[in-house]
Amino acid sequence: MSDASLIDELPGELLMWVLIISELLVFGAGLAAFMGVRLTDPAGFAEAQSHLHRTGAAFNTAVLVTSGYLAAQALRWRQVARRVPARIALISAALLGVVFLIIKGTEYADKAAQGINYETHPFFLFYYLLTGFHAAHVLAGVGILLLVSWRDDARNIEVGAQFWHMVDLVWIMLFPVIYLLG
Amino acid sequence: MGGNTLTRAWLALLGLSVGSAVLTLLPVPAAVMGGGILLLALIKTRVILAQYLDLACSPGWLRGFTMVLTGFSVLIFALYLI
Repeated sequence: MSDASLIDELPGELLMWVLIISELLVFGAGLAAFMGVRLTDPAGFAEAQSHLHRTGAAFNTAVLVTSGYLAAQALRWRQVARRVPARIALISAALLGVVFLIIKGTEYADKAAQGINYETHPFFLFYYLLTGFHAAHVLAGVGILLLVSWRDDARNIEVGAQFWHMVDLVWIMLFPVIYLLG
Repeated sequence: MGGNTLTRAWLALLGLSVGSAVLTLLPVPAAVMGGGILLLALIKTRVILAQYLDLACSPGWLRGFTMVLTGFSVLIFALYLI
């Protein structure tokens, strides 16, 4: 099989796949560094992790995978010219993104109220860096989903949904490492 | 891919997420819990890649992503066990 046909096998926009791979590598490197630094102070990392809201973060996982489902479903609907359900699904997906950010914001506010910041412990430096960078992607994704619900060409929706699934993928990698592996 | 496949993928993702939460509550050794959580996360990433991102139609790419993500999970697990 030639390289050209292999690349042609990729569904959706090639440049979006370049972005997906780049983001997975960046977050993967960040998470590997987090686990590496953890070796210097496992007890401190476990203690710091105990301050996190696992339940809220687990709920956010359900929120994101549901949102991803709606974005994927929107594309299927648009491909068979069901524009209204597709738009409703995209807007619903974006609203779930907002729910994710509200829960994340509540978590950050709670940390601030406890006097916890990125200087408190190296754990929290990684925590704010990785979850904050991810939250920035969620915010961008919400905007993109709303944009493609307006400019609802099937190709636009496909690219927007690809971005959103990337955000989902990163969270699925990030959640167990930051919140569960104490 | 049909809507039913997508819905099954979504339900599988929710089920796997509940599985991760349950695993943290069970009185199992840390290595079992950590390995189990990472395995469930790996399966979730594969479901998203295959069904949400449609790589089920590109088995070569799906295999490549799965291999890299499996390597990443093994690295994280090894660092967790040290």
